[in-house]
Amino acid sequence: MILKRRTFGALAAAAAMSSMLVAGAGHAQQSGGTMVMVTVPEPPNLANYLSTSGPIGQVSTKVYEGLINLGWDFEIQPSLAKSWEVSEDGLSITFNLQEGVTFHNGTPFTSADVQYSIMEVLREIHPRNAATMRPITAVETPDPMTAIFRLSEPAPYLMVALNAYESPIVSKALFEGTDPRDNPSANAPVGTGPFTFVEWEKGQYVRLDKNENYWREGQPYLDRIVVRFIADASTRTAAMEAGELHYAAFGAIPNIDVPRLAAMDEIDMSTKGYEYFAPMTQLQFNTTRAPFDNPDVRRALATAMDRQFVIDNIWYGFGKAATGPISSNFAAAGIYTDDVPSYAADDRIATANAMLDEAGVPRGADGIRFKITHDMTPYGEEWRRFGEYTKQVLAELGIEADLRYEDVGTWLKRVYTDYDYDLSSNWLFGLPDPVLGVHRQYHSNQIRQGTVFVNGTQWSSPETDALMDQATTETDPEARAVQYAEFQQRVVEASPIIFMQELEFVTVYSTKLQNAITGPMGVYNSFADMWLEQ
Amino acid sequence: MTHTAPITPDRNTPNPEPTAIARIVSFWKLFMRNRSAVVGLVILVCVISLAILAPLIYPTDPFRMVGRPMSPPLDGYLFGTDTLGRDIMAGIAHGARTSLMIGLIATIVALGIGGLIGGLAGYYGGWIDEILMRVTEVFQTIPSFIFAILLVAVLTPSIENIIIAIAVVSWPALARLVRGEVMSMRNREFVQANVVMGMADWRILLLQVLPNCLSPIIVAASLLVATAILIESGLAFLGLGDPNVMSWGFQVGAGRSVLRQAWWICTFPGIAIMLTVLAINLVGEGLNDALNPRLREREQ
Repeated sequence: MILKRRTFGALAAAAAMSSMLVAGAGHAQQSGGTMVMVTVPEPPNLANYLSTSGPIGQVSTKVYEGLINLGWDFEIQPSLAKSWEVSEDGLSITFNLQEGVTFHNGTPFTSADVQYSIMEVLREIHPRNAATMRPITAVETPDPMTAIFRLSEPAPYLMVALNAYESPIVSKALFEGTDPRDNPSANAPVGTGPFTFVEWEKGQYVRLDKNENYWREGQPYLDRIVVRFIADASTRTAAMEAGELHYAAFGAIPNIDVPRLAAMDEIDMSTKGYEYFAPMTQLQFNTTRAPFDNPDVRRALATAMDRQFVIDNIWYGFGKAATGPISSNFAAAGIYTDDVPSYAADDRIATANAMLDEAGVPRGADGIRFKITHDMTPYGEEWRRFGEYTKQVLAELGIEADLRYEDVGTWLKRVYTDYDYDLSSNWLFGLPDPVLGVHRQYHSNQIRQGTVFVNGTQWSSPETDALMDQATTETDPEARAVQYAEFQQRVVEASPIIFMQELEFVTVYSTKLQNAITGPMGVYNSFADMWLEQ
Repeated sequence: MTHTAPITPDRNTPNPEPTAIARIVSFWKLFMRNRSAVVGLVILVCVISLAILAPLIYPTDPFRMVGRPMSPPLDGYLFGTDTLGRDIMAGIAHGARTSLMIGLIATIVALGIGGLIGGLAGYYGGWIDEILMRVTEVFQTIPSFIFAILLVAVLTPSIENIIIAIAVVSWPALARLVRGEVMSMRNREFVQANVVMGMADWRILLLQVLPNCLSPIIVAASLLVATAILIESGLAFLGLGDPNVMSWGFQVGAGRSVLRQAWWICTFPGIAIMLTVLAINLVGEGLNDALNPRLREREQ
């Protein structure tokens, strides 16, 4: 046994040396190997044309492709579309499609599939695309390799949404004549991507094998991807530690365990690859209820919250204090500004108490100003801790908060249908354009009773509505930046939401894995160019 | 126990009815014979004192963040602080109140339901017995902890709902016990005599039959308190506790993810649960010995 191990060690060393030599000569990718990743929780299905649920996308983006990919700075890169051209007036986009692409079941990919996927599937049943693709009036198919989008108004935010996670292209032949919500491929996806779906052992794993006919020459490098489902967090950490897993993203490894794992020679970690989502945590007020209908009270609470304490002790150091409704991820695109009213204070509690006194909510004889119920986002441990922290901060302000923790369905109904809440924690994706991820929380036309993750605070103002409307169709980046700067200032000043932190997720991966994170979509990339050092 | 019913009508002892004081003394003597029961009683008294004194020793909210997060034991705080800097000892003291309160109230409620259903079934027999026992069996076939999780999840976690859930999963065993005891009394002469005298059924059941089958019920109920505390801790551990109330199970659950970084967060509340449940079980054993002395003698 020992001998064998030594031999193995020697071989491994030789292999490592040779690969280093090769790498020195320009990163020659090695083909082969099985990459094991873990996804939490197990997805309910694999239909990302039907649901934006994260775990679904982690698996199905290896099987489906979109028209485009995104580069690190959200630059649009070719995928199923080889090239494209936007007309002067912004009202039509012509896509030239890749030739020689086939779906995993053998049918060739043509513009008819694009037309069907956009008009019949994504525009109809996809939760976000129903809004994003609303301006698309038609997709014309002059020939099998050309698709022309006709728009009712310019939509500068549309291109980024055409990626594999948000807008997968499905096979028309497989879907036509069926209800897309009820297609069998929801559990056995058939796409054009680098990996083909093989099997799904429920509760255990999904197996994806290399697509031998993939259209990108030489890719994918991996022979197989196994996506494992491990419910218990400590078991996942232990599996990562033992080298049973190569890749764990989106909080699959608890933040508290990350530093210990990352200190190991075989494991690396990164917080990159989540820029697309720009997730942000928040406390949102029901601005129709007293006393939170008073912006002075809301501002006082925004002052009292110590964002850095929350980041350090609840999210164990991963995160960045938020300044307003738009994530600092958008700094590169020029539409983020930190020139907004600041709620920083040296003594947060004393300042906030003084603000509350001035706002006309004095303490009663028992030291209590008023009582509220604080709803906690029912997404697990951190949110419980955040709720407990918030309650203590409020107690120091003389606000007695009763904590409530319900199941996801009841909580969503309470916040977005019944509006029966005072203060709730929450987190939403900012997505790669404010039109997609930010407007929904502030525009008056997004007070849509019964639709989740829209304007649940019910706050809006004519000024901010107008700014958002302008920015939606504004094609000049500089003018857009000015509009969004004013938008951010006005929202932060009204403070319908306490902006807590830009959530940082961690990807933990084996050092043997190359090209582990290749863009702002991280785990939602296709992994066609990922390879494993043998 | 001021009523006139014979406590031990089947004993053919020549002694006259012992006085209340004499009975307590003899009970105490029997209880003291069981050393482990005495140890249990001592621990239990400590836990009860802690629960009573908690608001005096730790007058502020136990959820209050008082120190540096994750300070180790003895570094300013006896048992250290948790991930948000909350004093663990304060949590244990307030958690003792929660655990004992839930344990006691849930047991009393379960005793009420179980006593009523078991009493009616045992006293009347026949089709009433059939129906009530089939209902009881339905409840008994559902694994109790899973059932409790389900109930709390549906009713939303709050102290009242947790008590309801624990009572609902705990009463069937008591119902069966009470039914058995009542059945064995039902045809005794003193009961028959009461029937002949025209006493109302509920009075016979409540004043004559039940007092005579109290001892096994007391023993079972004392053990039920321990089970109730365990169920409550389990629920809180799974995040189904009342979020506004400090509890040992909550502390263990909240500290579980940092077990490798801060062992003390889970360990001390865990020890508190273990000691309390152990103590109640030991006391229950002691009660059993003291209340059923002949059972013990027979075993020896």
